Amino acid sequence: MISVRGLRRTFVTPAGRFDALTGIDLDVAAGEFVAVVGRSGSGKTTLLNLIAGLDQPSSGSVTVAGRGIHELDHDQLAAWRGKHVGIVFQFFQLLPTLSVAENVMLPMDLASQVPARDRAARAAALLERVGVADQAGKLPAMLSGGQQQRVAIARALANDPPLLLADEPTGNLDSATSQEVFALFGSLAHEGKTVVVVTHERDASTGVTRTVTLADGALA
Amino acid sequence: MSLPVRWRKAIRDLRQRPGRSLLTVLALAAGVFEIALVLFAYGLLQPELMNMYARTSPASATLNVEPRGGSNIPYDALLDSLRALPGVALAEARPLIVARVRRGPDEWLPALFHVTRDFDAQQIDLFRRDRGAWPPGPGDVVLERTALQVAGARIGDTLTFRLEDGREVRLRVAGTAHAPGMAPAWMEHMVPGFIAWDSQVRGEGSGETGQLRIVAEHARDEGYIRERADSARALLERGGLSVTRVNVPPPGEHPHAGQMAAFRFLLLAFGILSLILSAVLAAGMVHAFMAEELRQVGVLKAIGATSRQVAGIYLLEVALLAGAGLVVGLAPGLWLGRAYAEFSAGILNTDVSHSPFPWWVLGVVLVVGMGLPLLVSLAPVRRAAAIPVREALAEPSPPLSRLIAIDAWLRRVAWLPRPVALALRTALARRARLALALLLLGAGGAAFMAALNVSEAWNEAVKGDFARRRYDLVLYLSEPASVAALEKLWADVPGVARVEYWPGANPWMLDAAGVATTNVSLSGVEPGSPLVAPRIVAGRWLESTDDRAVVVNQAVALRGATFAPGDTLRVRLRGQAVAFAVVGVARELAPMPAAYATRAAVLGATGRSPDSSRTARIVLERHDEAAQRAAAGALERACERAGLQVAFLQRMLDARQAILDHLVIIYSVLTMASLVVVFVGGLGLASTLTLSVLQRTREIGVMSALGARPRTLASHVWLEGLFVGLLSWIAAVLITVPVSWALEQACGRIFLKAPLDFHLSPRALALWLLLVLVLATFSSFHPALRAARLRVREALDWT
Repeated sequence: MISVRGLRRTFVTPAGRFDALTGIDLDVAAGEFVAVVGRSGSGKTTLLNLIAGLDQPSSGSVTVAGRGIHELDHDQLAAWRGKHVGIVFQFFQLLPTLSVAENVMLPMDLASQVPARDRAARAAALLERVGVADQAGKLPAMLSGGQQQRVAIARALANDPPLLLADEPTGNLDSATSQEVFALFGSLAHEGKTVVVVTHERDASTGVTRTVTLADGALA
Repeated sequence: MSLPVRWRKAIRDLRQRPGRSLLTVLALAAGVFEIALVLFAYGLLQPELMNMYARTSPASATLNVEPRGGSNIPYDALLDSLRALPGVALAEARPLIVARVRRGPDEWLPALFHVTRDFDAQQIDLFRRDRGAWPPGPGDVVLERTALQVAGARIGDTLTFRLEDGREVRLRVAGTAHAPGMAPAWMEHMVPGFIAWDSQVRGEGSGETGQLRIVAEHARDEGYIRERADSARALLERGGLSVTRVNVPPPGEHPHAGQMAAFRFLLLAFGILSLILSAVLAAGMVHAFMAEELRQVGVLKAIGATSRQVAGIYLLEVALLAGAGLVVGLAPGLWLGRAYAEFSAGILNTDVSHSPFPWWVLGVVLVVGMGLPLLVSLAPVRRAAAIPVREALAEPSPPLSRLIAIDAWLRRVAWLPRPVALALRTALARRARLALALLLLGAGGAAFMAALNVSEAWNEAVKGDFARRRYDLVLYLSEPASVAALEKLWADVPGVARVEYWPGANPWMLDAAGVATTNVSLSGVEPGSPLVAPRIVAGRWLESTDDRAVVVNQAVALRGATFAPGDTLRVRLRGQAVAFAVVGVARELAPMPAAYATRAAVLGATGRSPDSSRTARIVLERHDEAAQRAAAGALERACERAGLQVAFLQRMLDARQAILDHLVIIYSVLTMASLVVVFVGGLGLASTLTLSVLQRTREIGVMSALGARPRTLASHVWLEGLFVGLLSWIAAVLITVPVSWALEQACGRIFLKAPLDFHLSPRALALWLLLVLVLATFSSFHPALRAARLRVREALDWT
């Protein structure tokens, strides 16, 4: 599903050059549930951003489902993400002015893959799937952190993407809720989704099929 | 079918943050209001000003005639002959009688009667019934509608008029007429009225001037008109009349065309400035708005939104805000625009009640109101939509390099108190926002100061001109009196310091071919007289050795061939061509041609005796209004006792006021522009500061968590406002210099045919500094209060 070759990312700041990734080679098969772990500043989020097409590599390549995404421009990447990738953030990043259901429907609206008449029903089904169907009409700010993250996962699944990427999805949650979220990812992987989660080492054993460790921008 | 979610987001975003939306709508509404006001006033006035004079069927030429041998003028026969002349479309008789009307004890104002044959069958220089009786009877007068107030009369009152021979006539004010072709009476400081052909005013001793008016077939062709006027003069002279004056005014030009053109120019100039101000205001609001939305743009793009889709969402938001701004700003703008147009029309002695609704203005305002915000949004929306997701999702902060540079600068000014330094850092760190705020307030301040600068430049020009005429009263007698008799008068007038008798004449100027072109006022003055200090712009002033030498004013120099020292001014005096050598050109505010020669030269050329005079220029010991009024009253009484008929008594402060009254319309547009600018600028600054605080909510929360007191936080916001205000003042000063210069040049050239002297008013600079600091304080009040009241948790949770 994912093939990363010679991936480098260098940031130029007023303090000087900083090599976030120094040449990574990584393969993730379809249906795998991979945890990417490492200390703060090891390059975990940078790697995830590059796989998601949220950032461009300085050199190297990223191929997802046979598509070289490093070759796509910003707009092509956005369209590609809408159909092929679901992203979950640490701080949920739900749009505060849309209801829970509308947040889930928004990617469908953007990608136009799901017919308009089916979107509300699909959003309801996804919310049911992640256990927050009863919150559908509320605004995100009225939900707890765990509930918001479940909504974010439902939103990531909106267009039924084969790949799910999550950046420290439990970093803002208590341990019991973190367990539930990881269990949800595990079940999704079990259903055939490829799941890559950037997380702390303490969560790495929670049902993942593989753990990849990064240190100073390289695989440890 | 339900609305797509992304459109719902656009609407929900606006509803969810009512404070921010309201501010943006108000700022956009202010721009719409401003443009609607100025353009609507322009749209209503422009066609009226262009057409109203033409609708009066203005005379192409007027011919003043005198019968030879004291017989009556056979008007009917003359009009038949004139109408039969080729190229003459219309002819009408409109004799004039110069008189004075009593305004109070010993206070007389100039009055001018237009004798009208048939009030209901006028053909030339039309005036129409306004109020009261029509037509007037033999003992009545119909006053021009603007003259009622000047005369201090009401319809039905009886006014006392004094004629040239001293006879007093009491006439009932039967009603009022509207003569759009005439300047308003209050502006001219005189009382125009219309009397019947059989009026009791007419007859021996009334000093009636016979006048015939013609309209040429090609009423816009000055050369053609002059030829027809020459033919008419020849015809009248063949008929046994003496033609004393032929006047061909600039075709199609209202007597106050220059004033109206200057007014229209200023209205349009400030309309364009308003447009620029609105564009900057809209750009500032949209920029701040997009800066706040950046994180959501990142989220949208992360979940699959293309740049086009993101741009669509935010352009819809801008369109909704602009639509709301239009709804809020349009009606008050149109309403005030009409009110201002009516006010201005009143000043110009016309009205706009029948002006067609200027639909083009509505079109322009709609296009500008919707289009301008969208247009200025394109760049920031496009930039935001194209931003890489990683950057959009990062904590928003100014570039590190800029913060380092600002800190390095602030260290060099270490004497600054810490709160001030922090406020400067905040203001300088967000360069684009600061630039827009500076541009908005800079443009607003520049327009405000330009309005005051132009206004003061006018005032200075008038004051400067009158400061060079160092006398307080000018007495014009109906008949020459002996200087010895006049000298006796002054003993009865308190406070007279000096009197000079300047002989004068109003000869025709002759062109190179010897054809009379226009009248010039020729005055004889002693070269060393302390009563005049002309501003010589070329050549020199008169010297005692000069003989047949003149100094001409710029109005002479502008007629036909330009006059310069070394040229010759030819005039017709006593039927003879007399040549004067031009030795200098003086700059005067008067648009009428004037020339000065030595007293001896004028006496010699006119053949008048040095022992008698019709005029006297009087210098008083005190020069204030009360002294001039008291002396004028005493002089009236003294002349009455001495049996001298006063034709006109001019108080110089009154003459100065008459000129300043011509500028009322100019001041009104400048004042209106200033007020609107202050309103829009204040709203702009308030919006900018409020959005600045909104954007820094999280930062304020962090500072609060670290122990900053509410008072400290509020003072930071206030100091930032003051700093932005101060910087904008510097920008405004830099912008206003060329803007004021250009406006002063253009206004002077349009109105006076000469540029006004460049004037940068220290009062305007100080006033705008004060205003901008007050505006900054008021504008920062609410944001500062908000910053001070923010709870730490709310602030840190802010998204």
